[in-house]
Amino acid sequence: MFVTRTVIILCFISLTAAHVCAKTLQITDQNGQPLQGAVVEIEHDIAMAADTTIAVMDQVGKRFSPRLLTINKGQAVRFPNSDDIRHHVYSFSKTKPFELKLYAGTPKAPINFEQSGIVVLGCNIHDSMVGYIYVADSQSVYVSNALGNIELPDFTQRYTVWHERQARDISERIEFNWPIRQRHQKIIITTSVPLPRNTFGEVFKEHHGH
Amino acid sequence: MCQLRGTFKLMQRFFRSVTLCITLISLFGCQTLHKRNSLYQQFGGQAKIEHVIDAFILRIGANSQIIHYFSDSNISHFRAGFINHMCALLEGPCEYNGDSMVQIHTGMNINERDFNLVVELFINVMTDAHIPYQIQNKVLAKLAPLRSKIIEI
Ligand code: HEM
Ligand code: HEM
Repeated sequence: MFVTRTVIILCFISLTAAHVCAKTLQITDQNGQPLQGAVVEIEHDIAMAADTTIAVMDQVGKRFSPRLLTINKGQAVRFPNSDDIRHHVYSFSKTKPFELKLYAGTPKAPINFEQSGIVVLGCNIHDSMVGYIYVADSQSVYVSNALGNIELPDFTQRYTVWHERQARDISERIEFNWPIRQRHQKIIITTSVPLPRNTFGEVFKEHHGH
Repeated sequence: MCQLRGTFKLMQRFFRSVTLCITLISLFGCQTLHKRNSLYQQFGGQAKIEHVIDAFILRIGANSQIIHYFSDSNISHFRAGFINHMCALLEGPCEYNGDSMVQIHTGMNINERDFNLVVELFINVMTDAHIPYQIQNKVLAKLAPLRSKIIEI
C-alpha cells in the first residue's frame, strides 16, 4: 500500500516536472569539456518589446567587465572606466566598428548598436583586454553555465550557438535544430586555442623573478 | 602691366633669397644651416633610437621590480609610442601624436624609486649602444623636466 502510494506520488512529481521543465541543452568542446559562456539564441516570430535600457561594459583591473555582454539590436552600451588609468577601446568588427579613448574621470556618450552580430572589443594600450558584445536579433538569448548547460524554453526549435573560442569564424552563429520529442540535446562546438597576447606579461613570462 | 610688375618683384625676391642662401652656405657651411646637428642626429637618428628602445623593452621585461606596471601593456604600442616620443623629444623629424605624459601615467602611482630605476635602465641601454656620455647627458636633460608629469600621479 505504502509502496504503491510512493510510486504514484513519484510518477506525479516527475510528470509535472516534465511538463514544467524546460528543454536542456548541453554544450561541450571536441574533447568533451563543458563549454561555459556559449551564447544560444532562439529563432522565433514572437514579438517582444525591445529592451531600451542602457547596458554597461566597464573596465576594471585592465579587464572588460563583463567579458561577455549580450544585448538586443538597437540597444545602447555605456563604457565607463572604473580603472583610474587610460584605455583606448576599439572594435574592428563589421557589426560595429568604433574607437573610444577613455581617460580617468572623463565619461563618454553611450554607443548604439543598430546591427545584430558579434562585436570583438580590444584595447590598444592593453593587449590582454578582450571582450565581446553579442548583439541579438531576438529577445530569447541564453548563456551556458560552468557545466556547459542551458535551460531553454519549451518552444525551442531552431537556434544558433556562438562561442568566443569557436574554431569557425568569430562572427559566425552556428545553426542547430532541436530534435523532435526530446528533452535533452548534446552538441559539440569545436574550439581553438586563443593566440598569445602581445603583452610584456606574456612575452616575458619566463624571465620573472630574475 | 600691374601683373608684370608683380611677377618681376617676385622674381627679384627669389633671386635675393638664393643669393642669401649661397652667402650663408659659404660663410657657415651646410651643417650649421639646418638641423643636421640636432640632438636626434647626434644620437644616431631613427635606427639608433629604435635599437635603444628595443633593448630598453628587453630590460623592462627582465626586471621584476617594475614589470608589474607593464604586464598588460601592448609591446608594439609601447614601442611605437616611445620611439615617436623620443624622436620628437630629441628634435628629430617627427611630431609626437600620442597621449600626454600625464594622460599616460595617471593612475600608475609610480614612486620615486621605480622612476629612478627606469631611468637607470635607459642609461644602461644607451651606454650599451655606445652613445657618448656627453650626448646621454643632453638626452637626460630633456627627460628630467618630464619627471613631475610621470611620478606619483
Ligand atoms: C651645401 C649645403 C647643403 C647640403 C649638403 C645639404 C644637405 C641636406 C641633406 C642631405 C638633407 C636631408 C636630411 C635628411 O633628412 O637626412 C637636407 C635637408 C634639408 N635641408 Fe639642406 N643642405 C644644404 C644646405 C641647405 C640650406 C642652405 C638650407 C636652407 C637655407 C637647407 C634646408 C634644408 C631643409 C629645410 C631640409 C629638410 C630638413 C629635414 O630633413 O627635416 N639646406 N639637406
Ligand atoms: C622620463 C621617463 C618616461 C618617459 C619619457 C615615458 C614615456 C612614455 C611614453 C611616450 C609612453 C607611451 C607609449 C604608448 O604610446 O603606448 C609610455 C608608456 C608607459 N609608461 Fe612611461 N615614460 C617614462 C617613465 C615611466 C616609468 C618610470 C614607468 C613605470 C615605472 C612608466 C610606465 C609606463 C607604462 C606601464 C607604459 C605603457 C603604456 C600603458 O600601460 O599605459 N613610464 N611612457
